[in-house]
Amino acid sequence: MICEKCKKSHATVHLTELVNKEKREAHLCQECANSSGVNIKFTFSVSDILGNIMEPKATKGSKETSKLKCSHCGFGYSQFKSKARLGCSQDYEVFQEGLVPLLEKIHGSTQHVGKVPQSADTEIRKENELVRLKRDLTTMVKSENFEKAAEIRDRIKTLELELGTPG
Amino acid sequence: MVIDDLVNQSGEWLKGTGPESDVVVSSRVRLARNLNRYPFVVSANKSVLREIEQFVRGKFGELAGTPDLHYFPMQDLDTLQRHLLIERHLVSREHAVEEGNRAVALTEDETTSIMINEEDHLRLQVIRSGLQLEQAWEEINTLDTRLEKVFHYAFHSRFGYLTCCPTNVGTGLRLSVLVHLPAAVMSKQMEKVLQSLQRLNYSVRGLFGEGTSPVGDFFQVSNQITLGKVESEIVRDLNRVIPEVLKFERSWRQKLLEQERGKLEDKVWRAYGILTTARQISSEETMEMLSALRLGSHLEIIRGIPPKVLNELFILTQPAHLQKIAGRTLEPVERDGVRAEFIRKHVPSV
Repeated sequence: MICEKCKKSHATVHLTELVNKEKREAHLCQECANSSGVNIKFTFSVSDILGNIMEPKATKGSKETSKLKCSHCGFGYSQFKSKARLGCSQDYEVFQEGLVPLLEKIHGSTQHVGKVPQSADTEIRKENELVRLKRDLTTMVKSENFEKAAEIRDRIKTLELELGTPG
Repeated sequence: MVIDDLVNQSGEWLKGTGPESDVVVSSRVRLARNLNRYPFVVSANKSVLREIEQFVRGKFGELAGTPDLHYFPMQDLDTLQRHLLIERHLVSREHAVEEGNRAVALTEDETTSIMINEEDHLRLQVIRSGLQLEQAWEEINTLDTRLEKVFHYAFHSRFGYLTCCPTNVGTGLRLSVLVHLPAAVMSKQMEKVLQSLQRLNYSVRGLFGEGTSPVGDFFQVSNQITLGKVESEIVRDLNRVIPEVLKFERSWRQKLLEQERGKLEDKVWRAYGILTTARQISSEETMEMLSALRLGSHLEIIRGIPPKVLNELFILTQPAHLQKIAGRTLEPVERDGVRAEFIRKHVPSV
């Protein structure tokens, strides 16, 4: 593809702009991109990613959300948004509403399935094991490993009974 | 353990003896952890930070098991010592530069370092030579479990290990593989490599961390996702991706050897020429020249330069190491001269 601007060099910078759901594209060579002020950074920094995600949304609850403040560390919602940092463990509960979509964007998930510390109380350990098992069950069924799937399902039933959660 | 003595030894990962070391320099595994009972570093004032550091210091005294961890409050280290640690990849630049109430714990062989009060209360790190992600993960997991016995971590059933920055939450696990891709760069394929890795949710950074432009064709490939996957999956996934990158780099190296041997040889031997005869040389130029020599050595264009020597030169020619070896502070211009002399002495004649 040839650069749309100079019509001479090969286009290596492909820009896609979404304006009010309308897609606009531009295909430029490196020089034209630079001279047009398009700054192609070699690497993304964390704040690049988070900066774009932290754009204010006009949601129903936004007025109440912006007044949120953690009683433990004093972090307010605006600090959470501007620094993209949390001030203490409690903040994960306090700012949960704003956090969940952010985590979804960064990680594609909002549920931890990995290691659980020994010091976590038994209930938490069991809850997390349940999450992991359910995930494994889906994988086993997908790969048609039904014997293993049955084992996992039994373990899930036992855990659910122990936790007193519905099946 | 004395920090100054580090200049006299080669950290394990420097020895260049790990798997795939023609392309992979090192594998690094990091875990971010916070203590339940204290606010995160970003919202803690000086006296709280002091309390945290002292609490952690006390607990390290109670730590059972091996290996031995040597504890150093950062304020006890002078600027040069702190920079030695940065240059050896044992602490981050922020950690060395920030004001007090921070510390670092290290093992003698430099494979393990724990930063106290960096962005999170505890940042565990294990580095290994070459591609050794699984081994590094086993080691750090064991270390984490060992620390768990004396520390109560901040943990949430849904969000996992709680961290200051949401990009680290969940497993708190960040893997980084440092790779050398001179053929990819020379063949103008780096863009492709970058895009493929980014599409798979890996970040690619130049040597020495965030926001720097790549020096010496060295790149750090790291996972971006830390939540929603089991730790062993994160390790396994990167362990499957890196060999693909290796395959490409090696094939481009072969191609260059076959189709542009002259150009390649010239690049390598010019680097050798500069390193063995220059009277003044900057860190950056040193990196570029050593990078070419490293390639030349692995492709056997130039023989008689052991990987260990090259890897050591990368570190020993850095500003703080140079000054430590010279035994005095050096102004930048003087440094360039001392560096050139040091290199002339240490690059073997071939």
